[in-house]
Amino acid sequence: MALFLLLLAGAYAAWRIFAGYAPSPAGVGALASREIGFLDAAADALFPPGGAIPFSGRDAEIPRYVDAYVRVQPARTRTLMRLLFFLLEHATLVFPAPGGVFAGRRRFSSLDAEQRVAVLEGWRTSGLFVRRIVFTSLRAILTMGYFAHPGVLRALHLAPLAIQSPVCDADLLYPRVGAPPSTIAYGADDLTPPSDGTPLDPYGPLDPRFVAASR
Amino acid sequence: MRHAGFAGEVRVFAEYADDFREEADVAVVGSGPGGAVVARELAQAGKRVVLLEEGPPIPPADFELEGSRSMARTLREGGLRTTFGTVMPTMQAICLGGGSLVNSAICVRPPAFVFDAWSERFGLAGTTRAALDPHYEAVEKFLGIGPTPEDVLGPRNLLFKRGCDALGYSSEPMPRNVRGCRGSGECFTGCRSRAKQSMDISYVPAAIRAGALVLTSAQVQAVRVEGRRATAVVGQVVEPFTGRTGHRFEVRAKEIVLAAGCMATPVLLQRSGNLANGSGQVGENLQFHPGVAITGVFDEPTHPQFGATQGYQSLHFLDRGFKLETLWAPPGVLAVRTPGFGLALKQRLAEMPFAATWDAIASCHHSLGRVRARRRGLDPSLTWQLDERDVPILQQALWTLAEIFFAAGARKIVPGVHGIPEELESLREAEVIRTKPLRGSHLVIGGNHAFCTTRMHGDPKQGVVDELGRCHDLDNLWIADTGVFPRCSSVNPMLTCMALAHRTAGAVAAQV
Repeated sequence: MALFLLLLAGAYAAWRIFAGYAPSPAGVGALASREIGFLDAAADALFPPGGAIPFSGRDAEIPRYVDAYVRVQPARTRTLMRLLFFLLEHATLVFPAPGGVFAGRRRFSSLDAEQRVAVLEGWRTSGLFVRRIVFTSLRAILTMGYFAHPGVLRALHLAPLAIQSPVCDADLLYPRVGAPPSTIAYGADDLTPPSDGTPLDPYGPLDPRFVAASR
Repeated sequence: MRHAGFAGEVRVFAEYADDFREEADVAVVGSGPGGAVVARELAQAGKRVVLLEEGPPIPPADFELEGSRSMARTLREGGLRTTFGTVMPTMQAICLGGGSLVNSAICVRPPAFVFDAWSERFGLAGTTRAALDPHYEAVEKFLGIGPTPEDVLGPRNLLFKRGCDALGYSSEPMPRNVRGCRGSGECFTGCRSRAKQSMDISYVPAAIRAGALVLTSAQVQAVRVEGRRATAVVGQVVEPFTGRTGHRFEVRAKEIVLAAGCMATPVLLQRSGNLANGSGQVGENLQFHPGVAITGVFDEPTHPQFGATQGYQSLHFLDRGFKLETLWAPPGVLAVRTPGFGLALKQRLAEMPFAATWDAIASCHHSLGRVRARRRGLDPSLTWQLDERDVPILQQALWTLAEIFFAAGARKIVPGVHGIPEELESLREAEVIRTKPLRGSHLVIGGNHAFCTTRMHGDPKQGVVDELGRCHDLDNLWIADTGVFPRCSSVNPMLTCMALAHRTAGAVAAQV
C-alpha cells in the first residue's frame, strides 16, 4: 500500500512538472516545451500587449530568442540557464503564489496574469540577495530577448544606423569567421580612405541588414 | 597565407589541416592590448614572433548589432561569466584583439599617486609615472589617442558635462584610441566605422607587417618547462564560437610571453603544473573596478544611440576612490536595469530616447578574490567578495551621479538600488541614496576591469613577476596583461596595460 501511494505521489509530481505543456513552436529545439511554456508566461508578465511600445513579449518571440541564445552558450551555462527556468517555473509548487492554497500552488505558467506578476515581484523585492539575483538573471534574459526584436528597437528609435565600413589594412588579412583566406574579398586596390569623423545623422537611414530583418 | 606588403602572415581556423609545430624567438599568448603590443614591438625589433590567439579575427561583416548575440560570440562563457562570493557579472573577450574589439576604447593615464602607492607598497622603485611616461607616449602616438571630438559627443555626453560644470566638478572629453569616430555608439559590438583602433586593426597588422606569424583559433593549454626555462607552449586548434577542439600544436620559443588576460593567465600557469608560483600568489589578489550606474530621464531627447559610447569622464573624485563616466551600450543590455513589470515597465522603456546612463568605477582595495582552474577546461572559477568597507565609496559615487543628473536638468533618475525607490524626482528625494545605510547586497554592480592575479612585486616571495614582467621563478617566462598590476589602477587599465607591455617588450628584446 505504501509503495503504491509512493508511486502515485511520484506520478502526480511528474505530471505536475512535465505534463500538460503545449508543443513547442516549429524551429525551437534547444529547450523543452515546458521551458518554452514558462518563458512564454514570464515574457507575457514582463511585456504584456498594449502600452507605450506596440510589441508584447509574445510579439517579440522571446521564447524563440532564448532558445537560440541557449543553443550558443557553453554547456555549463546552458545547464545553469535551464535550472533557472525550472526553479522559477516550479517554485510556486512549494511556495504558493497569492490566491489560495490550491489556486496558488500551481506551476508558474499555469497561474493567471496577476499571480505571475505577484510571484515575480516577490522574487524581485525579496530580502534575500540570492532570490533577487535569480530574478535579475531572468529579467536580463527576457529583456535582451525583447530588445533583440528589430521592431522594438525601431519603435524606440534606437535601431542601428547605416554605416559603410571603410576597407583597411586588416581587411586584406582576415576572412569571414570560419572561411578560408581565399574568400577574402579585398586586395590592396580596394583600400579606402579611413573614416573622416563625419558625425552620423541620428535621423539617417537604418542599417540595411536591420531593415531587412525587421520585415 | 602570406599577403602582399606583409612580411608575416595570419592563419585562421579553416587553414589548419593537421597537427603542427612552429619555432620562434618569442611566443606571445593572447592578442589583446598586452600581447599585441609585445608582438608588434618585438617583430619590429627583428625578432621571429609567433602570436597565438584562441579566438578568430572578426571582421565587420561578422559583427552582431544585437547586444546579447554579440556577447555570445565575442566573450568567453557566452558573456554570462559571474563571480562567486559576491555575485557579479564580469567578462573576458575571445577574439583577435581581445577586449579592445568590444570595449569603449578608453585610454587614461593614471595619476602619479597610483604609481606612488605601487612603488612604495610593492617594492617597485622603477615603476613611477615618470618612468612609464615614455612608454605611454609611444603607445599613444601609435594609436592616435586623443580626446573625443565635440561633434561626436551627442547629448548624453554633453549633459554630463553640463551637470559637472554646474557643480564645479572637473570633467573632460574621454581620451580614446579612436581615429575618425562618427558617434555610432557601437564600441561594445565592434566599430563598423573602423575608427576604433582595436588591436586587430592596429598593433596586430603592424606586427604581421613586421614579420610576425599570427595563429588564430589556437588555444594554448600549457607551458612546457625545463629547469628554470620555459621551452614551448602547447595546445589545440579550436573552432570559432563552438569551442570544439581539434589539431594539436606546439610552438617552441626562446622567450614566452603570457598575455592571456588576468583571468586566464593564472589558469594557464596552474594547468602547467602550478608554474611560476613559488610565491603562492598565482591567481590570488583578484581585484576589480566594481561599477555602479544611474539612469536619468530628461525632458529633451537625448538621441542616446548617437554619440561616442563613453565620451566624457570626470576624474574629480579619483583621490576619493571613484571615477565617473558616461555610458551607452546595446539597448537590450542597458534596459536590463529598468525596474517594474508590464505596462509600467514598457512606459519606462519608452523613455529611453530621453535618457542617459552614467556610471562610476571604484577602487575597492579591500575587496579581493582569486582565480582557480576548474576541474576541466580553461575557463576560470572566480571568487570575489565585495568588502563592506568599500561600500561607502560606491554609495558616495551613486550620490554624486545623482547630483550631476539633477544639476544637468534631469526630471527623474532610476538609481537601481535595492531598498531605494525605483524613481527619484528631485535631489531632495535622492538624499536617500546618501543617507540610507547600504550594504553591498543592496547594490547592482558590474565587474569592470580585472587585475593583480599575477602581480608584480620587488620581493619574489610576494609577487609572481618583477617590474619588467619576468616571472621570478623562471628566466624566460614573461607576463604582459593586467594580472601584473600590483593593485587596481583607479582608471581604465587598457593604456597602462599597453604601456607596461611596451616596457616588457623592450626587456624581452634585450634578452633574446
